[in-house]
This record gives sequence, C-alpha cells and structure tokens, in this order.
Amino acid sequence: MTDLPLAGFLALSAVLLGIGIFGILTRRNFILLLIAIEVAINSAILNFVVFGAYWGGVPGYGLEGPSVAVVLIGLAATEVAVGLAIVLALNRLRGSINVAEATVLKL
Amino acid sequence: MILELLAFLVLAVTAAVTALAALLVRELVHTIVWVALFFVSLAGFYFLVSAPFLGVLQLGVYAGAVTILLLFGVMVTRKRIFAHEAATGLGPAPVALSLLIVVVLATAASTIPAATSQIHSYSVSALSTALFNQYGAWLLLLGLVMLPALAGAIYLVREGRE
Repeated sequence: MTDLPLAGFLALSAVLLGIGIFGILTRRNFILLLIAIEVAINSAILNFVVFGAYWGGVPGYGLEGPSVAVVLIGLAATEVAVGLAIVLALNRLRGSINVAEATVLKL
Repeated sequence: MILELLAFLVLAVTAAVTALAALLVRELVHTIVWVALFFVSLAGFYFLVSAPFLGVLQLGVYAGAVTILLLFGVMVTRKRIFAHEAATGLGPAPVALSLLIVVVLATAASTIPAATSQIHSYSVSALSTALFNQYGAWLLLLGLVMLPALAGAIYLVREGRE
C-alpha cells in the first residue's frame, strides 16, 4: 500500500535505543530511570510493529511481529508497575528515590 | 506518498525530540508530559504503518495507564511537586557509548536489503486468532509473569512490613 523506507524506521529505532541507554547511564532519579527503560523498550516494540506491517500475513510469513508487540507492551507495563512499587518502598524507607543512595538491596 | 514521507519525518523528529526532552528537563512533571507526547508519537507511527489495533493499544496502555502511573509515582514521592531535580553531569562516557550504539545500529540498518514486501494492513481478527492459537503459550507466559509481578508489587508497598 505504502512504500516508506524500512531503513528509516530502523534508524529511528536505533536513535531511540541510544537515547534510552543514555538516560539509563546518566539519570539518578528512579522515575527517570524507569522512563529511560520505557524509551528503550519502545524502540524494540517499534521494530516488531514495523516488521509485522511489512511481512505480517504475507504468504509464508506469520503474524509474529504484532503478536510479540502485544506481549511486549504488556510486559513493559508490568515492569513499570513493579518499578513504581520499588519507588514507593524506597521512598518510605530512605526518604529519597535517588538510586545512588540506595546501596542496600533489602527494602 | 510524499504526504506519508512527510508524516514519517515529522513523527520521527517528534519522537526523538520528546524522548530527549523527557530525559533532560529538570522538572519531573514536565518529564511526564514529554514522555506522554513520546508515546502518542509512537502510536502515530503505528497508525502510519497500518496497524491501528497496536496504535490504540499503545495509546491506552502507554499514553494512558503508564503515564498516569508515573505521575502518581511523582505525586507521592515528593513534597513540592514542581521541585527541580538536582543537575547531574553528563559525563563523556555515557554520551560516547550511546552515540556509538546509534552509529553501529544505524550503519547496520543502512546495509540491510530493501524490503521484499510493502506495508499493508492485516485484519485484527487474524491477529487475535494467531495470538490465541498459534502463540497462545506466549500469552500464558505473560500471565504467569504478571501474576507474581502483581503479588510482588503488593508485597513491596503494603503497610507495616518489617
């Protein structure tokens, strides 16, 4: 139907993954860390959706791309829920959500 | 064709700028707004590549639920909601590493052969049939991951735990 360049989507995904990893490496606030992880995961989901849009349902190919995307969206949402539970526990015990100060694993 | 390329470029610039802004602004509440815009621009991509079901899922789960969850996390963890974050230095090593990753992956993306197929839409009923028959084990595994995650989250935040 449309012929957008596949390499364009992959390059955008690479840029988003780079931004996410940059955030994971530099941010010290737990919530910002979660957001950076979300950006990195979303770059991967974008790849699955784009490949599914090109080859999904074509004879000889299945619908793996969108199926993996659905599962990954659920998995990433679960990860945010657990991450925020850790944020709340950390905030109650330490009074701060700076990951550099969370030096003891036991919450 | 030109219109779609234009939409792709606008959405790509929006996604990259909002993701970067979300990680660089100093107020956490502004970060949430930027990241919500980032999720919406990704949903725009999904609509652009004829995957409306995934676009709606992205809007509902990310732009809706995850954004509100993050906002809730900001609200309960700080005394003054618009307080500034302490500035953290951007060391040369993280910038260099992320730039290296972008360059390597973009080089790899430019060398892959052109697509043998075109962007087309598939029916949502075909996707759900595949999801619940062929790849049903994945959904089951997702449920098995979500259940202990929910239990663990409740355990972590419950009152009076010592």
